[in-house]
Amino acid sequence: MQRASAWLTLAGASLRSEFQYRANVVTSIIGGLIYQLTGFLVVWIIVDRFVQLGGWTLPEITFLYGMRLTSHGIFYATMSQMFELDRVLINGEFDRFLVRPAPPLVQVLTRKLRVNCFGDLLGGVALLIAAGRGVEVAWSPLAVLMLLAAVTGGALVEGAVQITLGSLSFRFLNTLQLRASVNEVFNIYGNYPFRIFPTLLAQVLTFALPVAFVAYLPASVILDRTDGLHVAPWLAIAAPLVGVGLFLIALRIWNRQSRHYQSSGT
Amino acid sequence: MTLRANLPAWVEIAKANIRWQYMYRFNILVGILMTGVTIYLLTLVWRAAYGGQAEVDGIGLEQMLVYLTIANLQLYFLRPEVASDIQNRIREGQIGFDLSRPVSYPSQLFAGAAGDMIGLIPMVAVALPVAFLVGELRPPETVGTALAYIASLLVAWVVAVELNMLIGLVSFWTLEMTGFQMVCTLIGNFATGALIPLWFMPEALRVVVQLLPFQAIAYIPVSIYVGEPATGAVRSALALQLFWAAALVLVIRWVWGHAFRHTVIQGG
Repeated sequence: MQRASAWLTLAGASLRSEFQYRANVVTSIIGGLIYQLTGFLVVWIIVDRFVQLGGWTLPEITFLYGMRLTSHGIFYATMSQMFELDRVLINGEFDRFLVRPAPPLVQVLTRKLRVNCFGDLLGGVALLIAAGRGVEVAWSPLAVLMLLAAVTGGALVEGAVQITLGSLSFRFLNTLQLRASVNEVFNIYGNYPFRIFPTLLAQVLTFALPVAFVAYLPASVILDRTDGLHVAPWLAIAAPLVGVGLFLIALRIWNRQSRHYQSSGT
Repeated sequence: MTLRANLPAWVEIAKANIRWQYMYRFNILVGILMTGVTIYLLTLVWRAAYGGQAEVDGIGLEQMLVYLTIANLQLYFLRPEVASDIQNRIREGQIGFDLSRPVSYPSQLFAGAAGDMIGLIPMVAVALPVAFLVGELRPPETVGTALAYIASLLVAWVVAVELNMLIGLVSFWTLEMTGFQMVCTLIGNFATGALIPLWFMPEALRVVVQLLPFQAIAYIPVSIYVGEPATGAVRSALALQLFWAAALVLVIRWVWGHAFRHTVIQGG
């Protein structure tokens, strides 16, 4: 609880400070939006030209893309500072976090807000709305709830992976390259129905690196495409819970590893 | 005369940049691996899209996969950092030193980019096996095709540097342009045709992309490589590419003439 209220106060402050630079906010959001939409354009052109991809139609793939993008936007809005962690540890900023009364991880995450996350969020939600009518889903309150749980769970999965890998920085100082590469794998492989992947790759991207849990598995539940899934359907239904579970584990790992912090003395 | 007088300066600038590339070799290796990850995904997606058909619109699946592999490999190597160099020099106020040198600034940038490229060449030895593993590599069908591709690749590099330089020169006016640069890079990456060759683009989009110079960076050389030259014949494809390389020289001259008068030296 203390964590949550500290997070709210600090995140609010960094949000207000970013919005002091209005022109920068607008250009960053537009930049973020264009970035994501060019990515989607490639998928759209291919599926539009070939009608389907791995048996999924254009609205279904748009929906999948929208879910992943929304998840990524939530992750980025709340945890983008994980990508600054190495710098925080090396320049000794972390020392300050240790002597303040709020949890250090909360302070790392709320250092600054990267406003281009709103581009991801806007793009993701726009794709979901655009695809929402085209897919054969009865939008009952339960279905909407499942969607909300799924995108939140997806953000937690991405966060869990980044926090776990970030914890390694307490020992090795520089893990940014590794984390940026892993983030990229999520960004490029997460947008496609796993049926187009060879089985081994699909398994690796589910159990070794939980990419499937971000969007593909929950999307196949919402879209009722659990036929021919590479895992048991119950696991797909439980995807949001997997997100919560992985995140809790990541927090434990962070707490354990942060004991190895050695101040750089600067 | 000026060419000969300036040559030693250009060579020194290029050498300095070759050393820089060597320092960043680890990052470059990671970059090559990530390019491999992208190529692998593209081959899976396009295999699925073809869905067992051997040929779509006269383009064979294997031809398509070779195209994607070569184009993305090439895009990784043809990524001049002229724009961010310009921006750093302006931000740190060091642009004043660059401008006071007796060699013109655009030619300094060009020499630097050449050094970057030469420094990267040894990395091809790492990139080719990676691409071979994840993608589809096949030598060009004839020696003539191979030679035409190599010529086209050189022009592609020139155009890539020119476009990047133009984006960078804008910062003489705006001073800060990370966002603008990002947007240009993205639109540029798409319009090179490395992710989707022009022959599979929807009509309206293709018309626009055909009017832009970005196609000279990937689509023109790689379509020559796979034997489907952009304009139907190798000769006219090369001519189109050369036209852009030359036209952009004029544009750079014009922009640079204005940018020079606009220089602001931030107290370095």
